[in-house]
Amino acid sequence: MAELVGVFAASHAPLIVREWASVTPEHKTRLTGALQELGRRLDAARADVLIEVSPDHWVNFFINNLPSVCIGVGVENEGPPEPFLKDFPYKILPGDPGLARHILTTALKDGFEPSISHRLILDHGFCIPLWRMELKRMPRLIPIIVNDLEPPMISIRRALDWGRLLKRSIESYPEKLRVAILATGGLSHSIGEPTMGDIDEPFDHDCIRLFSAGDEAPLCDYLEGALGKTGNGAHEVRNWVMAHGAAGSRGFEAIDYISVPEVYVGCCFASWRAAA
Amino acid sequence: MTDYWLSKLFFDLQTPARAAAYRADRASVLKDYPLSPEVRAAVMADDVGYLARLVNPYLLRFYFVSAGMPDAEFIGKLRASAQGAGKAGHG
Repeated sequence: MAELVGVFAASHAPLIVREWASVTPEHKTRLTGALQELGRRLDAARADVLIEVSPDHWVNFFINNLPSVCIGVGVENEGPPEPFLKDFPYKILPGDPGLARHILTTALKDGFEPSISHRLILDHGFCIPLWRMELKRMPRLIPIIVNDLEPPMISIRRALDWGRLLKRSIESYPEKLRVAILATGGLSHSIGEPTMGDIDEPFDHDCIRLFSAGDEAPLCDYLEGALGKTGNGAHEVRNWVMAHGAAGSRGFEAIDYISVPEVYVGCCFASWRAAA
Repeated sequence: MTDYWLSKLFFDLQTPARAAAYRADRASVLKDYPLSPEVRAAVMADDVGYLARLVNPYLLRFYFVSAGMPDAEFIGKLRASAQGAGKAGHG
C-alpha cells in the first residue's frame, strides 16, 4: 500500500525570483536556508510522488471556467509560463496518473466533486518552492489547484476535509508508493488591493500558533473569521489547512517565519509532525 | 461588479506576444474587446482606482506590471482611490 511520508508547506512569493536582487542580505540568507531545509526534509522522506497543492494565478483558469478544486491526473504537466521563471530547470514535470485517478475516484465516492485536468501549466506557486528547495531528485508530481484567488472559495472546514480525503486516498492506494504533500502560498500578503505591500504579522503569528497546536476547531474558527479582514493573499492558507488535515492535524514545526516587505509576503516554511 | 471583457483583456495580456502588441498599439488591441466607453476611457487613462472595482485584484496587478507602471505608483493610486472612496462614502 502507499504511505504518506511527509507533509510540508512553503510560501511562494514571485518576487523571491523576480526581484531577488532587491531582497536584503539577511532575508536572502534566511529564505534560502528555510527553503533548503524544507528540501532536505523532503529529500529525506524519499517520496516517489509529491502531491503539491497551490492556487492557479490566472494561468490555467479564467472566470469563464473556474473550478474550486482541480486535480492534475495527466502523464505530465508543463513548467512555468512566467518569463521571470525561464531558467526553471524543468519544462515538463512527470505526473502519476494512477494515484491521481485514485484520488479522483475516492473523492467522487466520498462526496467531493473536483475538476480534473490531463495537462496543467504549473505557475510560480508550484515552481518557486520546487526550484528553491534544491531537491536532489524531483518526485513525480500530482498538482492540485485550489481556487484561492476569486471568491467564493471553499470553506476552511472543507479544506480540512479535503486533507483527510488525501490521506485516505493515499493509504487506500494498492501500489507501494511513498507519497509526500507540499502546500504552497500564504501567509499574509495583499495583491492589487489598497493594502498591497502590507504584511499582517499578528495574523501570521496566530496562524503559526494554531497550526503548531494542531487543534482543528480553534484553527478553523480563527481562519473563517480572520480571512477577509486581512490581505487577499492570505486565502492561500486554505492549502495549508488541506495539508494539516492530511497530516492528521498533529501540528507542525515552523522551520522559519520571515516577514519580507521586499517580496510583500509574510513567508513561512513548515513541516508537520506526521512527516517522516 | 466584475467586468468580463476587461478581465479577459487583462487575462490575455499575460501572453508576451499579446502584451507586446498592446504596448505597441493599445487602441488597436482594445478593438477586440467590447468594453463600455467608460471602461475603455479608464483603460486609456490608466485609471487604477476605477478599474480596481471591475476586476480581480491579481489581474489588476498583472495588468499594470505588464503596462510598465512601477509598484510604488500602482500602490499609491490604489490607496488614493480607496481614501477618496472613503471620503465620498462618509461625506
